Amino acid sequence: MRHFLLFSSLVVAGASAHAQLPFLTKRGPAQPVLQGIDAQRAEFAAQSGGTTVYFGVESSGLSAPARTVLTAQAAWLRRHPEVVVRVEGYGDAGDTRDHALAVGARRAEEARSYLILLGVPAPQVSITSWGKERPGLGRAVTILVR
Amino acid sequence: MKRLLLPFLLTGLAGAAQAQQPGTPAATVIAVPPLTSPTGGSRGNEMLAVGWQVTEQIETDLRQTSELMPLKPKRDDYYSYPEVTAPTFSKWRSAGAKALVTGFVQSRSDGRLTVGCYVYDAEKGRELARKGFVIGPNDWRRAAHKCSGLAYTAITGAPGMFDTSIAYVAESGVGDGRMRRIAIMDSDGYNHRYVTGGEALVLTPRLSPKATQIAYVSFAGGKPGVRILDLDSKQDRALVPSDAISFAPRYSPDGSRIIFSMMQGQNSDIYVVSAGGGAPQRLTTSPGVDTDPSFSPDGSRIVFESDRGGSQQLYVMNADGSAQRRISFGGGWYGAPQWSPDGNLIAFTRRGQDGRRIGIVKPDGTGERVLTNGPGDEGATWAASSRELLFQRVGSGGRSGLYRVTLDGSDARAMTIPQDGSDPDWSGVID
Repeated sequence: MRHFLLFSSLVVAGASAHAQLPFLTKRGPAQPVLQGIDAQRAEFAAQSGGTTVYFGVESSGLSAPARTVLTAQAAWLRRHPEVVVRVEGYGDAGDTRDHALAVGARRAEEARSYLILLGVPAPQVSITSWGKERPGLGRAVTILVR
Repeated sequence: MKRLLLPFLLTGLAGAAQAQQPGTPAATVIAVPPLTSPTGGSRGNEMLAVGWQVTEQIETDLRQTSELMPLKPKRDDYYSYPEVTAPTFSKWRSAGAKALVTGFVQSRSDGRLTVGCYVYDAEKGRELARKGFVIGPNDWRRAAHKCSGLAYTAITGAPGMFDTSIAYVAESGVGDGRMRRIAIMDSDGYNHRYVTGGEALVLTPRLSPKATQIAYVSFAGGKPGVRILDLDSKQDRALVPSDAISFAPRYSPDGSRIIFSMMQGQNSDIYVVSAGGGAPQRLTTSPGVDTDPSFSPDGSRIVFESDRGGSQQLYVMNADGSAQRRISFGGGWYGAPQWSPDGNLIAFTRRGQDGRRIGIVKPDGTGERVLTNGPGDEGATWAASSRELLFQRVGSGGRSGLYRVTLDGSDARAMTIPQDGSDPDWSGVID
């Protein structure tokens, strides 16, 4: 399980590093060509500095780093009005099930509200909550291009 | 905490604490000789064979309790049909029994069976209760559960939990691909079946009072929402036709209404809606997370959890949402309350730095006791007797199982289920 997670996060990190540093991509070995939604996801992640923002314990308040990521995401989404995203909130693993579900939803809604505040049309952004049902990310929301 | 509990256990619960020890005087010794039959011939022998199965099941049922201690049934303790209503009490008194169960299995012309069950005070030679059941030819287990319930109630005064169902989430596989299906079984683990297919993530199944429907949360459609599944017709529908995230459903004691949580913006509030559908009525309006509502057995009040005061705590309100007040003050966070069927206690999950444990408290907030050691316990649900709880425990390996704990202070016991399990819900007595 842990191995798998580690592997997938390395892949994501690798992809975004290449995208941020295009000269590396040109010099390096041939990269797999991403198409369709995967390409959009990679571009979104690369140009907004990540797809995940983190929260404090029991908190749904946005930190300065979280706002930076969301601001970049909002700029990208305004340039790509055809793309819809889903903000997926996560609760705390030690919490009780339903409270974690509500806290995840609250975090997702906070991130969504901020994107809308920055000019992203509301229909472009939906939310969900995974509560503590998909452990691994911890106190976070991920913004998933759909 | 443990030190605080000890004097209470020693004084208030001395009797009950002894009852868990097999054979100690506090547990009522009960004789369960093999059921007889008035039916003659080879059919009569078949009935005696069914009677023996019923007898052994009654013994198994009663042995699970901390209040009753059945004597091991012996085949040569056979008695005649007239002795069902006129037992030889002296024989059972000398065997050490204070109570006695007799009964019979009779073949009917339509192929079904009549099972009669009689409960006696063996010391006083007095009948305490009797009941007859007509059952299908293969339903002897159900008849045994009913007979066990009759004996348990006659002796302890509390409803028996033998003829009840348990719903839970059966989990298999690992990681995000872990399959979760809602399963239902009889309270003794028999008759286990899956009622959802595993395509979507499911949570918190809650049985209707007669176990004919389940309210549950499904992630089908991408976000959590409450759905209602009719167990007979297999009809499955959304509780409210809304795009909002909804969760934490529970039936009212009469089954006519469902209370649940719904998100509106960042706010989770408690709503009530007719079980048949219609417009939900909002009961709480405070900012923050109000969730996990549970009705009192008379339907007049609701216990729920809220973090309106800054941390997750238990609150009680009237069923119309009025008179909301906090009842938990023991330190730490409190959640997932459920009101006991007898109305006297509220079970909860208490969360602290050292993990999650199951506890009980009176509805006025006094008499709090923690019953389990944690650290990964949550989601307690009451037995119909109000003397036992079923809950979910995540062990050190990350695997989740179902455990039972009685209120007398004894250790929690694991239930045997085919896979991992979470979110148990224990029904009331079915009829």
